[in-house]
Amino acid sequence: MSSTDINESAGNTAVQPQTPNLSRIFRVIIGLFVLVVLLGILPNSGNTTVTSRFQTFTTIFLGIFIEAVPFLLAGSLVSGLIELFVNQESLARIIPRRAVPAAVVGSLLGFVFPVCECGVVPVTRRLYQKGLPLSVGIAFLLSAPVVNPVVIASTYFAFGWGPIFVGRFVFSILIAFIAGLIFHFASPEEILLPPEESGMHLHEHHHHQGENNMSKFWNTVVIAGDDFMDMVRYLILGSMLAGLMQTLVPQSTLLSFGNGSVMSVVAMMVLAFVLSICSTVDAFLALSFVNTFTPGSILSFLVFGPMVDIKSALMFLGVFKRRIVLYLILIPLLLTLLITVFLNLNVAL
Amino acid sequence: MKNIDLKTAVKITLLIGLGWFLASRLIFGTLNFYIHPRFNGLTLGTAIILFLLGVAYWWQKVGRKEFADEHDHDHHHDHDYHHGHSHDIPWSGLFILAIPILLGLFVQPRPLGANALDNRELNFSLTAAQGSNLRDTTIETDGPRNILDWLYDFQRQQDAALFNNREADVVGFVYRDERFGEDQFMVSRFTISCCVADANPIGLIVATDDAPQLTADSWVQVTGKFQVQSFDGQMIPVLIADSITAVDAPSQPYLYE
Repeated sequence: MSSTDINESAGNTAVQPQTPNLSRIFRVIIGLFVLVVLLGILPNSGNTTVTSRFQTFTTIFLGIFIEAVPFLLAGSLVSGLIELFVNQESLARIIPRRAVPAAVVGSLLGFVFPVCECGVVPVTRRLYQKGLPLSVGIAFLLSAPVVNPVVIASTYFAFGWGPIFVGRFVFSILIAFIAGLIFHFASPEEILLPPEESGMHLHEHHHHQGENNMSKFWNTVVIAGDDFMDMVRYLILGSMLAGLMQTLVPQSTLLSFGNGSVMSVVAMMVLAFVLSICSTVDAFLALSFVNTFTPGSILSFLVFGPMVDIKSALMFLGVFKRRIVLYLILIPLLLTLLITVFLNLNVAL
Repeated sequence: MKNIDLKTAVKITLLIGLGWFLASRLIFGTLNFYIHPRFNGLTLGTAIILFLLGVAYWWQKVGRKEFADEHDHDHHHDHDYHHGHSHDIPWSGLFILAIPILLGLFVQPRPLGANALDNRELNFSLTAAQGSNLRDTTIETDGPRNILDWLYDFQRQQDAALFNNREADVVGFVYRDERFGEDQFMVSRFTISCCVADANPIGLIVATDDAPQLTADSWVQVTGKFQVQSFDGQMIPVLIADSITAVDAPSQPYLYE
């Protein structure tokens, strides 16, 4: 029916039964209808607990989403600019390929591309397309949300110069560096989802003479827009999940673990994962836990949260293969746990 | 083939719809039900860029076609622009994108209320950490103090008895749980440092005979004097109410640390 479908089926080498376009549109319409009916009933049903819970969920979900969406959009715009201005050859010349220098460059790349945990995913994916070495991208993905000028400033405003400030950046870089090395030596063959699954396309660019600056500009804008539309669904699902957890799981159960050297770290890491707050502002939130929680656990919140939380984990799933996402979660989790519990037990911060 | 296909039309609608959703929260003054005012500029910028993206998609489909024809581009180029970017996102992805817009349209924007307190820790005193981060100006000013200012003051003074007979005039919503006596309630606010995800409830305990008549979650203005009393095993300043007036929810429902 539409030209896009013909294109898709022609592009697939494996012959798959093509769902007729009409029934797909039909399903979307049914889905919308169900959603609208639910939205009409839930807020007005007689059950006040359900109504108020739903209201709370909506407010928190939209809060996280509204707060994060500018940063995702900024990341998508950076991704569009990379597509336009960064070419494969110059990237290959600048970025080292040997294990250690590559991981070091990757964990400091946030200074060049200052993005937070929402923006970093489309940027990393775009850089991989430009031939960025595996380990550099992994280190960048994990460290950039913390190791960039904006987060350095906000952490400094919240904590001032001290062990928490220094520890946050040293350990974020260290963990990103180690993760980069692990991926370098393990060198998995393919980490990205194939284009058909991830919605990513190789934008082949034929720079015709007729192509002027204006059309380059529109081209960049549409690439940024596609990246944004592709990633925003994971942000939405992640924000909904985080909103749901916040509505249903009592915080007091988590907060009662404040004192134990190990349990406090676990509790703060779970909290960081569930809250899914942007790395640019999480330092201010961490401040309110300083006296109830151990210093190591505060640090774990500030180091682990920006690397992995509900919404970024979902965004990883949209780009990387499942097994890779598992490692991307487990490596920072175990290293953060190890470092901060060690600090709690052996060092007086 | 040169007409806008259904999917592109949906994409343009969603981009502009999302932009409108953000802009409308700003225009109707409900944006700060969700985020700290310092991010208002970011939201405005995002709304504008989303509108521009919608226009760009349209331009790419319609405007560029004429442009391309005028300049006699070859077919391959044409193909690249007209299909290269349009078939990547599945319908389910677009459906997900519609969720925040639909929630925004169908659910009345409301700030967090007493019901959100069910699974959060309530603070009637600040932690020492929050206390160490105070603005020093509050202690001298005799201007109107909000609930957060009072809690900062309680934190700063070791001796709660100093607050006896001090007058207070605060606005907040009504909250009660099983710890409260028949004649008590808490006049509460949420504090926010970034967005509602980090909302932290605080409040002053109010003693009044009218307590049973007040509905939870309704907004009130309370005036009265503090007296140190026992609450839940702690000696803390309790506001003995002189008057309790029902008020509208403030346009900025949260307090900012």
